[in-house]
Amino acid sequence: MNIISVGVNHKTAPIEIRERISLSEVQNKEFITGLISSGLAHEAMVISTCNRTELYVVPAMQEVTGEFLKEYLISFKDARKEVRPEHFFNRFYCGTARHIFEVASAIDSLVLGEGQILGQVKNAYRIAAESQTAGILLTRLCHTAFSVAKKVKTKTKIMEGAVSVSYAAVELAQKIFSNLSLKKVLLIGAGETGELAAKHIFQKNARNIVITNRTLSKAEALAEELGTNQVLPFESFKNHLHEFDIFITAVSTKEYILTEAEMHQSMLKRKLKPVIILDLGLPRNVDPDIGKLQNMFLKDIDALKHIIDKNLEKRSRELPKVNAIIEEELIGFGQWINTLKVRPTIVDLQSKFIEIKEKELERYRYKVSEEELQRMEHLTDRILKKILHHPIKMLKAPIDTTDSIPSRVNLVRNVFDLEEPNQSH
Amino acid sequence: MHNILLNNLPLLVLNQLVSILYLVTTFLYGAHFFGDMPLAKRFKQPLLVVTVLTHIVYLGLLTSLEGYKISYSTVNLMTMVGLTLTTTYLFTEFTTKSDKTGFFIISFAAGAQLISSILTTQIQTTGITFSGVGIGVHLIAAIFGFSAIAIAGIYSILYLLLFRQIQQNRFELFFQRLPNLEILEKLTMHAVSLGFLFLTITIFAGILEQRASGEAITLFEPKLVTLVIIWLLYGTGIIIKPIIGWDIKHMAYLFIFLFLFITILIVLMTFFSPTFHGATF
Repeated sequence: MNIISVGVNHKTAPIEIRERISLSEVQNKEFITGLISSGLAHEAMVISTCNRTELYVVPAMQEVTGEFLKEYLISFKDARKEVRPEHFFNRFYCGTARHIFEVASAIDSLVLGEGQILGQVKNAYRIAAESQTAGILLTRLCHTAFSVAKKVKTKTKIMEGAVSVSYAAVELAQKIFSNLSLKKVLLIGAGETGELAAKHIFQKNARNIVITNRTLSKAEALAEELGTNQVLPFESFKNHLHEFDIFITAVSTKEYILTEAEMHQSMLKRKLKPVIILDLGLPRNVDPDIGKLQNMFLKDIDALKHIIDKNLEKRSRELPKVNAIIEEELIGFGQWINTLKVRPTIVDLQSKFIEIKEKELERYRYKVSEEELQRMEHLTDRILKKILHHPIKMLKAPIDTTDSIPSRVNLVRNVFDLEEPNQSH
Repeated sequence: MHNILLNNLPLLVLNQLVSILYLVTTFLYGAHFFGDMPLAKRFKQPLLVVTVLTHIVYLGLLTSLEGYKISYSTVNLMTMVGLTLTTTYLFTEFTTKSDKTGFFIISFAAGAQLISSILTTQIQTTGITFSGVGIGVHLIAAIFGFSAIAIAGIYSILYLLLFRQIQQNRFELFFQRLPNLEILEKLTMHAVSLGFLFLTITIFAGILEQRASGEAITLFEPKLVTLVIIWLLYGTGIIIKPIIGWDIKHMAYLFIFLFLFITILIVLMTFFSPTFHGATF
């Protein structure tokens, strides 16, 4: 009984390879059901995201190895020209369990501690469960992975702090102003970056968001999407600069859209109340000299990257805690796997003794009264329970270096003369 | 008056215990702020409550020996400053749910309590005792006033530290742990307003008590002159922002200066003018 994982991810292959080998939800279902129906695997699951395509397989025959599965996936995607086995990683048994625990808890992600991967793993399990390709092993493996991820999220700070520019901008604004719902925000530029920043600041309760953009219709569309419905014409927004506490600029321009003189006037009008300008444009949208004004916080992408770096550093410091949680869960999972291995022997052992008991009792069935027979049965049950207690306890006990599961199983089977078990899953 | 503590071993032990509790509480708040230690986070607030309660019990027992009257001495002033600082901070922590500035306030309180405990074993007299509502209000308002000034000074320092870290793109410990600038500004201004209120009460209670007792106090007594100057400066500090439009950064410099000025003045006067408005002890 083994669990194999093979796959490509951001650590093993460049983006072109990852794109080539990725599976859509339909392809995913087709692939895993194909593995089961062809008799190659007992269980199968695929996690396919923009950064990884990974197979988790419980093989049904010895020929199904990691190398076999790599070739199988490559030929399924008809990608023999571009993708080679060297682009894959390959893990077995506990290595597979550790890997999926690391993936679910986001420490294997491109951005350490990112929040999307757990949902993607859950989605992969959902597809496998719906396709009836997730059996007892994968179900247990995935549920343990979800539990690891939950523990990691609650007991460590691996997911704390902004790690994207737009989130970092909002984090910075929150370090200056206590309540963003009381602040007036001007978003200059309704492109993708501006939209993302506006959505993040909206999530942090900023409701007074005014949008200005060269193309007014784009500003209106974003304002409607956010539900603020506040738009300023691009030609006249400079008349209102003093009204705003937070500026987010993300436009494509060769000239500065805010100059030092304009902001100086605006600061005087607002009696030097603090202002934060988050310049998310590249090239920069705002005159850097504005940062020298009193009570003015001007931050460009480089400054925000400092926050991201600090947060990533902080997340990295949490790795030992995450690994400790994973180790703990791995031990538990390993012990559960061991109980699976010894379960047939325990069942055989119990069956053998019950058979002996029933045969012996049968001999007395017509020699004693019904009441006496019941008492004898009760007595033999108690004796059997006591006799079997130690061998079963020994079989279930955690393995140490001097012992192994097969040797224990063989010992019990030889001592009690049990028949050889079937080699099925 | 003889030193009550030196003749009362249980009370002396309790006095030292209060100092130890302050030190341990400061350590826990520091361990949480600088080291992010989960154990420190869990136990710091309960220990702060224990410290404040022990301190109140200690002061209750101490004053009970003299009919619940507090005597005017450096030892008692310092211990009262420690208690008022922690009590004010504890109230802030419970009401604002923000426990990130505790280390800075409590370490100052611990310093005051430690000086008090050390001096307790060094001096032979505990100072003159006062009774009456007027003088009680005068003394307690003065102590609360100084505590508010200290808190305003400490929050001003924290405001400037965070302000500089943000300006210089150094998103380090203070950026990560301190409350935001707006909250620090509010805490500073609340402390300043309270400080001004208590100083006003101190002055009026003093005038009323002097009239009631008929005691002759010279108007040019250094403590009185200093108190009035400080009161004027704080009053100006409160109105300067709405009238002149001074920003909080400049205000913070003013409050730090006032805090240091008053602390130095109190220390100097305690050693070189050890009288209570002319009353020698």
